[in-house]
Amino acid sequence: MDLASYITIIISTVFVNNFILARFLGLCSFIGISKQTGPSVSMGVAVTFVTTMASLITWLIYNFILLPYDLAYLRTISFILVIASFVQFTEIVIQKKAPSLYKVFGIYLPLITVNCAVFGVAVLNTDVFFLHGKAVPGSFFKALLQGFGAGAGYTLAMFIMSGIRERLDFAEVPESLKDVPITFIIASLMSMAFLGFSGFKI
Amino acid sequence: MVRGNLGEFVKGLWKENPTFRIVLGLCPTLAVSTSVANGIGMGVAATFVLLGSNIFVSLVRTIVPEKVRIPCYIVIIATFVTIADLFMKAYAPLLSRSLGMFVPLIVVNCIVLGRAEAFSSKEPPLKSIFDALGMGIGFTWALIVISAIREVTGNGTIMGICISRQFEPPLFMILAPGALLTIGALIGVINYFTLKVKAKAK
Amino acid sequence: MNQMAKFGLILGIICLIATLVLALTYEVTRPKIIEQLRQEEQAALKKIIPDADSFELKTLDGVEYFEAMKGSDLIGYCLKVTGSGYSGYMRIIVGIDPNGVIRGVSVLEHQETPGLGSKITEVRPDETEPWFLKQFKGKSAKAVAVKKNIDAITGATISSKAVTDAIRDAVDIFLKKVRK
Repeated sequence: MDLASYITIIISTVFVNNFILARFLGLCSFIGISKQTGPSVSMGVAVTFVTTMASLITWLIYNFILLPYDLAYLRTISFILVIASFVQFTEIVIQKKAPSLYKVFGIYLPLITVNCAVFGVAVLNTDVFFLHGKAVPGSFFKALLQGFGAGAGYTLAMFIMSGIRERLDFAEVPESLKDVPITFIIASLMSMAFLGFSGFKI
Repeated sequence: MVRGNLGEFVKGLWKENPTFRIVLGLCPTLAVSTSVANGIGMGVAATFVLLGSNIFVSLVRTIVPEKVRIPCYIVIIATFVTIADLFMKAYAPLLSRSLGMFVPLIVVNCIVLGRAEAFSSKEPPLKSIFDALGMGIGFTWALIVISAIREVTGNGTIMGICISRQFEPPLFMILAPGALLTIGALIGVINYFTLKVKAKAK
Repeated sequence: MNQMAKFGLILGIICLIATLVLALTYEVTRPKIIEQLRQEEQAALKKIIPDADSFELKTLDGVEYFEAMKGSDLIGYCLKVTGSGYSGYMRIIVGIDPNGVIRGVSVLEHQETPGLGSKITEVRPDETEPWFLKQFKGKSAKAVAVKKNIDAITGATISSKAVTDAIRDAVDIFLKKVRK
């Protein structure tokens, strides 16, 4: 049980290699949804749930089906189908069990399927936690951690950005920079700030 | 709107440019634009996938029932992404390694699924081909512009050729913040000129 | 026919066709992909121990390594080392002579931060090989350590240490095994 490496994974995924601000995964929804804090955090929670579960399922598929039968080339197609099915399944469950929550998410839930962060972390897990076609020690748990961290980092970035954009409504933004461009520039400053975490040592 | 085939092609280059206008497919755009070579490589790969998926989605558009269309489109797209990935690994390994996990990530590139959903599921194959080419080339030249800016200012090189020894390039342009700043500024500039043209037309 | 079954069938057929196409593509490209990796490996080996005529792949306790032969003399070993870097793993090949002195190091693959950790493979404009890796030449593998006799890359201590420690530990284990 290498506790230090597990902590490193969480810190790395949430801060140092933040999925939005450093890896650029999940940008489309980041730019589109981060206008207000409420929806942003809700989206973040939903994404975190999907990234964690997707990491779990895709790891199992990769380790027990794709690798043993030399089917690694089916990774892309199987992973994205798993993610699409899982999001669909989650949508149905939420619709039945928590209809009010379903109204809040609206059309954003199916959009999680094409969220680069979800597919990205699934692929990243297989790239980083597998070596020469075999799982590294602690691979499963590390993959789960990274999946969770990806979503948590995404939520953090969304939360900060939405807070800033809410205040931006009271500032005088030049017409040509309104909406998308100013969001990118703010994200650039946030990203620079997060670069400061690079020196983190455990 | 009924347009000729040439119109379908040209719209992707400027008016409906996927990167600067529709603002889709941001994740790979920012992540791989660290050098012009990478940008071109990604653009070509994405265009190939766009062509393949647009053609086949258009061919099956009458057979696929509406309720399962998204998973079917995803499978078709994933197939072409994997084909591109395997061929790149075999015939352009250096580029494949440079682009890393962003080649499989083309499957969740909003541009590809977006065109399948918005266009080729409703239009005949020939038109879809022109749409794919226009969008693909539009995406590619946007990538080239962003990569050129980042590579020159952040690395002092263009296509790997060192063009300046006098100045020490600001590293952050090659890193995450630089990407966000570049695209924010570019969209801002484009918006500025678009607004000016609109104002003059009034 | 039941709606759901019809949907499932159509999706299933598309998946089947897709899988067949991909299996075919894989079979077509696989030989080339393996060839590419092999060529890259051979080129790296030749660069590290230039005076060897051939490299023979051997396995010891499940670990692969190469014996560098000049004629029929064993002039060194090349080890495939995997290091855990800052953003992922690194594939390294280190060449040593039979006494454990490093002949050369080559980093085949890494995922370090561009501009910082990626400088482990950076070649300065007037030189021919990465300056960071050149430091390892001629040093005894069990004595290399960052700050002792290896200069780390500014701002990329973790990446530098990862390479150094991986080499030192791997060679140490290997030599112990091979001398038994």
